[in-house]
Amino acid sequence: MRLKLERIGKTFPGPKGGTVEAIRDVSFEVGGNEVCVLLGPSGCGKSTILRMVAGLDRPSSGTITLDGRVIDGPGRDRGMVFQAYTSFDWLTVRQNVEYGLRLRGVAASERRDRAAHFIDLVHLTKFADSYPKVLSGGMKQRVAIARTLANDPEILLMDEPFGALDAETRWHMQELSIAIAEETGKTILMVTHDIEESIFMADRIIFLSRHPGTVAANIVPAFKQGRRWSRKEDVLELPGYAELERDIMRLMRQQAGAETEAA
Amino acid sequence: MTTPPRRRPLLTLRAPIARRSAVALGVACWLLFFAIWQFAVSAGLVTELLLPSPFKVLSTLVALLSTPDFWIDIGASVLRILVSFALASVIAVPLGIVMGSFRALEAFFNPFMAAWRYLPAPSFIPVLLMWFGTGEGPKIALLFVGVVFFLIVLVMDYTKQVRPEFIETSMTLGGTRGQILRTVIVPAVLPNVVVAMRQMLAVSWTYLVIAEIVASTNGIGAMMMRARRFLHTDEIMAGIVVIGVLGLLCDMLFRIAHRLLFPYIDESAR
Ligand SMILES: Nc1ncnc2c1ncn2[C@@H]1O[C@H](COP(=O)(O)OP(=O)(O)O)[C@@H](O)[C@H]1O
Ligand SMILES: [Mg+2]
Repeated sequence: MRLKLERIGKTFPGPKGGTVEAIRDVSFEVGGNEVCVLLGPSGCGKSTILRMVAGLDRPSSGTITLDGRVIDGPGRDRGMVFQAYTSFDWLTVRQNVEYGLRLRGVAASERRDRAAHFIDLVHLTKFADSYPKVLSGGMKQRVAIARTLANDPEILLMDEPFGALDAETRWHMQELSIAIAEETGKTILMVTHDIEESIFMADRIIFLSRHPGTVAANIVPAFKQGRRWSRKEDVLELPGYAELERDIMRLMRQQAGAETEAA
Repeated sequence: MTTPPRRRPLLTLRAPIARRSAVALGVACWLLFFAIWQFAVSAGLVTELLLPSPFKVLSTLVALLSTPDFWIDIGASVLRILVSFALASVIAVPLGIVMGSFRALEAFFNPFMAAWRYLPAPSFIPVLLMWFGTGEGPKIALLFVGVVFFLIVLVMDYTKQVRPEFIETSMTLGGTRGQILRTVIVPAVLPNVVVAMRQMLAVSWTYLVIAEIVASTNGIGAMMMRARRFLHTDEIMAGIVVIGVLGLLCDMLFRIAHRLLFPYIDESAR
């Protein structure tokens, strides 16, 4: 599995008939089984990039390919988890997770088995027959993740999936996502503006600068010794964590500085 | 030691009040209304011929309810509502949903609908009478015309409010256009379709009374016009009460149906 973005640009129609250049000349690749995090200040075009990979928007220039095939629309090979809750509220947890399988006519028994497996993976077995209205925010995101995984995508796209959650739920979800990445071997491309989250989760961080968004740094957190850690505090206390966090903060601040000077 | 709760004055800004007080206050307003009415009649401030006492209206209502003719009138009115509303819904709900889903269909239909919406439905009565004669036709047609255009727009607007993330989620899970319409848009908008129908059913009752007063020999409206000819004010008022109760009943039925049909809705999130 290889996702390849080549010199992607995107302009939106702006106010008063002009155009707004959201991102320019963005190129990067995401390879097999990698957890890749797109990090950058808000408004730098992270969502725009992810939506183009998902096929929900089209690049203005450049090409995105998945294993050599040009992406020209949404498809089930690229599963997406949004920041906003998207559990279908008229379906139970189980029906939500079965949804994608039902769309392509998978037989009921197989559907049930697959759904049960992924519901278990996100620890929601007790709630399989509940409607989303009784679930907390974190549980709703777990439904969305299970629903996407049950559909067996080549790559899992997540746009600030934990952004709306409280701090404690957030790190539980980060750890759960790492466990899922280990267990399923899925390639994950995730967007965040949270530095700590990016360092804990990422095998590789793609840092974006702003106006227009472009790749400013491609960071491999080498201090993690090439492995994933299941507990967040274990990463925070590794030598090298603080330095990387500091370096990224400096990058962010340079961004902000450039802005204030420009303004 | 806890301090004893201090009694708050009844008119405290924005403060919630006990359910019992709320009910008592609501009943009090009605009692006041009936008391003033009764007083006006007893004191001779109004002629009883034009405004009979509340007790007289009540006893007339009870008497009417034991005559088959009255039930036939009620039945005729309810049947008109049911038939016309079913016809309007069968057209408006699917059309509203596809107009809310496809911009091209909205662009095609909406300017047409908008014009019809602002024409008062009763202005069609003369021509409806010419086209459909004096049977059920013109009444059903008036109720249909009065409801259908508004219902279409309500359903369309609710359909447009279906969250885009729902639709995009289905797209990324491999949903085709038809599948998304069937498995996302329709179930997502359905609860609001029922709300829209409830709102329009109230309008339907308004047009029913107009239709029956202007051009009908049966139905509650026609009964009231008959009573007017014989100066039976008490019967007219009994008719008003029945229409009010029936309207309220319909509204309640829709509310109950909404609760039973959509148990998954998170009321606290609204
Ligand atoms: N649909 C759109 N129309 C116009 N401008 C847009 C649209 N989507 C995004 N933008 C602009 O593109 C830039 C990047 O947005 P976005 O990708 O949402 O950033 P991020 O997700 O990094 O916060 C912003 O300046 C935003 O205003
Ligand atoms: Mg974003």
